[in-house]
Amino acid sequence: MTGTAIRPDLSVDLAPNNPRELVLRNPVIPASGCFGYGLEYGGILDVQRLGAFVSKGITPRPRSGNRMPRITEVPAGMLNAIGLQNPGIRGFIRKYPRIWEHWDVPAIVNISAERVEDYAMMARKLDEQPGIAAIEVNISCPNVAAGGYCFGWDTGMSRDVTRSVREATTLPVIVKLSPGAQDIVSIAEAVEDAGADAISLINTLVGMAIDTRARKPVLANETGGLSGPAVKPVAVRMVYQVAGVVRIPVIGMGGISRLGDALEFLMAGASAIQVGTAIFSQPGMLLALIDDLEAWMVQNGVTGLREIVGAANPGFRAHDRHELDLATGYLDR
Amino acid sequence: MGKAGAGTEQVKERNQRGWSREFLGEVTRVSPVMGDSSLITFAAPEGLVASARSGHFVEILCRSDESYDPLLRRPYSIYAAGAKKHELTILVRPYGRGSRWLCNQPVGATLDVLGPLGNRFEIASKSGNLLMVAGGVGAAPLVMLATEAVRNGLSVTYLMGAMTAEGLLASQLLPGQVEYVVATDDGSQGHHGFVTDLVPNYLRWADQIFSCGPEAMFRSLRSVVLANRFGSHPPVQVSVERAMACGVGACLGCVVETRSGMKASCVDGPVFDMDQVVWS
Repeated sequence: MTGTAIRPDLSVDLAPNNPRELVLRNPVIPASGCFGYGLEYGGILDVQRLGAFVSKGITPRPRSGNRMPRITEVPAGMLNAIGLQNPGIRGFIRKYPRIWEHWDVPAIVNISAERVEDYAMMARKLDEQPGIAAIEVNISCPNVAAGGYCFGWDTGMSRDVTRSVREATTLPVIVKLSPGAQDIVSIAEAVEDAGADAISLINTLVGMAIDTRARKPVLANETGGLSGPAVKPVAVRMVYQVAGVVRIPVIGMGGISRLGDALEFLMAGASAIQVGTAIFSQPGMLLALIDDLEAWMVQNGVTGLREIVGAANPGFRAHDRHELDLATGYLDR
Repeated sequence: MGKAGAGTEQVKERNQRGWSREFLGEVTRVSPVMGDSSLITFAAPEGLVASARSGHFVEILCRSDESYDPLLRRPYSIYAAGAKKHELTILVRPYGRGSRWLCNQPVGATLDVLGPLGNRFEIASKSGNLLMVAGGVGAAPLVMLATEAVRNGLSVTYLMGAMTAEGLLASQLLPGQVEYVVATDDGSQGHHGFVTDLVPNYLRWADQIFSCGPEAMFRSLRSVVLANRFGSHPPVQVSVERAMACGVGACLGCVVETRSGMKASCVDGPVFDMDQVVWS
């Protein structure tokens, strides 16, 4: 080792096509539904060190969520059917933007609705609020029987939702895709075409566990979203496929619980990563991931994430240089 | 890359800074109790020990960093805090995968702990006579509560139920001033029947009732109390148990339906007023 190592650049812009930008100082983001509203983990870790965080899913009206049991453990994962318990967009706006306004860490608001107009209505309301860095549009929540999950399984409806949110706000718009879609690539293309600034994937996979003694499903909702290490290979594959085609940044998630997992997603073509289920077990790991990534970059002579994003994905690297800058979010600023 | 226990170093560092509720604690004592259960004592940062109150719980990661099984932490009520300034004790019955793993940890093993978490039992300022109703490992938070109450000069009657005499808490684990009355399903010690059968004898005496145990015991307690008390006196606080993930109110997986909506048992509980809970 000669001299002092140059401190690697972990920053990324997840909305390079948007004048309002979405610049993160590092690519580690707690996922929606796993980090509350950012306040819950205040006594456990320094939330301000995170790249950003995504709020619990907000709906047009307050929701009390599903009946219990809402969660159950499965091999290397868990099933959840919380049912989007939240105070609704009005209750949300009364409480959180004024807190987040004073925070360094960018706050991303996850929204979910059952009608296109409602997505637009929420996006319009959020656009006027302080303390909000971006909107993540959930077109895939699998838990609400009459819910938005169907949007994410259909190319036309995914495009409609994205376009309506795009027209309602100048905030960066991230659209979160459902792994239940038959052709995830065409959904991603439709969403990009409709004006999304970035794409995040994957949401949970629909699963079920049976209580054999009671002879019925464990969860009161019967089905639940599968998350955790069990879903990681599916998620990596989908990130690889989507990042190989779209020219906007991709945020990868699904079963990330340590550095090796994060590197897989980055090399598959994700410009940033979200961590969900692993937070419940090891919240301190969120910050460890940032430190471990930086240490890994130093050890491997990597000065910026753009060098490794998509490194394992020939489709992604085949974009021309300018496209690559846009797609990775590492455009010279 | 991908080194096992990505969080370990980070947690150690924060242990030293001493503010985070996620910490590593070395097991200092393991004593058998209540037949197959164990009292497990582990080191904890002094500030956290000082903040622990009866009703609070900790969530423990019952696996090594290399494993994903069981994935989620397991919640345990605090049995004792501050006998030594930097130790917490929990009561663990080895019935699930997590608890079995935990009971097999030897002295010197390191536990990954999140806590203290949750709300606490509240003794009203006017209360002089406290009735506690414990079932199984539900004995744990009530031992801590009884110890606090006796220290403050309050009268405590501690009722405990178990399947057999072996499953009962040994009387010497409670302060000498506590009246300890037991019931067993098989009649091998004390009252032959449910612990809740004993409750009517104390309803006029008790200013408050505190309970922790299985859901079936709560149902029985509730019907006994509703059938025998006058109005809403004495009030009953119950510490409920739900399948839990985050422990900090983020995931909303552990909710309890109350008259004022769905409440997270990890932050709004685990202690609830019995009359506020919607019992299905």
